[in-house]
Amino acid sequence: MLAIKIWNYLKGYVIIRIEGLALERLLNLALTNDIYIWDLRRLNYFQVELCVSLKGLKPLEDLIEKTGCKGEILKRIGLPHQLNRVKNRKMFLIGFLFFFIFTFILTSFIWKIEIMGLEQTPKEDVIQYLSDNGISSGSHKSKFTEEEVKLLLINEYDYFSFIDVKIRGIKLTLDIKEEDIPPEIVNKDYPANIVAKKKGVIRKVIARNGEDVVKESQVVRQGQLLISGAIQSQDGSYNLVHADGEVLAKTSYEAKVSEPILKKIEKETGKLFAQRGLKLNNQGIRFIKDIPFSNYKEYIIEENLFNIDFIDFPIKLIRYEYRETEIQEVKQNIETIQNSNQLKAIDIINQEIAEGAEIVSRDIIHEVEGNILYTTVIVETIEDIGKKVIIEK
Amino acid sequence: MKKTNNIKTNIYEVLELPIEITMDLPKITLIGNQEAIIYNHKGIIEYSSTLIRINSRTGIIKVMGSDLEIRNILSEEISIVGIVDNIEILS
Repeated sequence: MLAIKIWNYLKGYVIIRIEGLALERLLNLALTNDIYIWDLRRLNYFQVELCVSLKGLKPLEDLIEKTGCKGEILKRIGLPHQLNRVKNRKMFLIGFLFFFIFTFILTSFIWKIEIMGLEQTPKEDVIQYLSDNGISSGSHKSKFTEEEVKLLLINEYDYFSFIDVKIRGIKLTLDIKEEDIPPEIVNKDYPANIVAKKKGVIRKVIARNGEDVVKESQVVRQGQLLISGAIQSQDGSYNLVHADGEVLAKTSYEAKVSEPILKKIEKETGKLFAQRGLKLNNQGIRFIKDIPFSNYKEYIIEENLFNIDFIDFPIKLIRYEYRETEIQEVKQNIETIQNSNQLKAIDIINQEIAEGAEIVSRDIIHEVEGNILYTTVIVETIEDIGKKVIIEK
Repeated sequence: MKKTNNIKTNIYEVLELPIEITMDLPKITLIGNQEAIIYNHKGIIEYSSTLIRINSRTGIIKVMGSDLEIRNILSEEISIVGIVDNIEILS
């Protein structure tokens, strides 16, 4: 019943009152003419009220005229009528369209730039640089793409190791990771703290500007505050300065290298097994036979069937070669491995050690576990572990 | 005429065909005293809130009651709602 009601509402209908003497005749005529009528109510001897669909209204009116009755539409119900009503209210329609156009236009601009993850570069600098290149709040989205913004930033700031640019709605979000940069590069106009870029044991703190918060022989973890840029003045308020200074600390580097003592070497025995195949238009035909070796290497050699330079024939001859191999186990000299491992490990550490670091000690540990020799090299250094981080206001 | 009708009825009974369709007879469904649905009618003869007369092949179906309304009317079916007191078939 509900479904029928909804259907009637969508199609639209009218409630009509009919006056006349031949009402039954009218109804019978409506039946034969396939006019859908419902909810008939007899008001009195010469009046009836009924619902009729919009489609059936015109033929019904014709019939009313034919039978000499009089019809009066009482109410128009349904979606088509409401749409008609809206059509008459032009300003409402214009306002509605204007609303959509207005929202569309407003959402096609960037209104907010959000930067996350910056530590050593002031956000204001980056935003200023972007706006110098035409990307600021209020610029149109179609003017730049995410990739362009990324390239722009990479070109200007060579120490950004990771940049993720996202345009979400009206917001431009930049997620930036920086490499540790030398303290001289950090813009001195902005207040900054000095924090630890790696863990270590403090040896000496020289604070040229700012207040040192760590003591000698204290263990610090990565990211811990070393020299604070917030100085408490006598009246108790804080004064923000650009902290400067050196923090020397003992840090260690570790590298671990492994090498099997018994090494497996594949060696060809010289036995050969060959097969031929054809290749037609990149689709191969191959005559499969069993390969008589358990360990082998496979070589595929393609040959042109007809060797004419200027025509590329689609038929090619293929030769499959299988060469038997033998796996031999070779026992290596432990001393040689130890030396080579040690060199490898030191090589790894040398790449990691910061410039200006003073090496204090070097430990080398060899361990044999089953078939494998592990070499661990630990290098301890004294270096400046300070890193300037801009203070967020 | 009566004989042929009898033969027809017998055939339909054997074949188990619904008689109201094959012989075009009206089918009246009553739900309590609130609703009467009449299939296979042949048009309305008289309609008021207390009496509805409907033509059919067997004769005139007379539905009496109070507050009678025709809920919908199609060429095959009429459904009457209201309080039905009495249904008569005048053949």
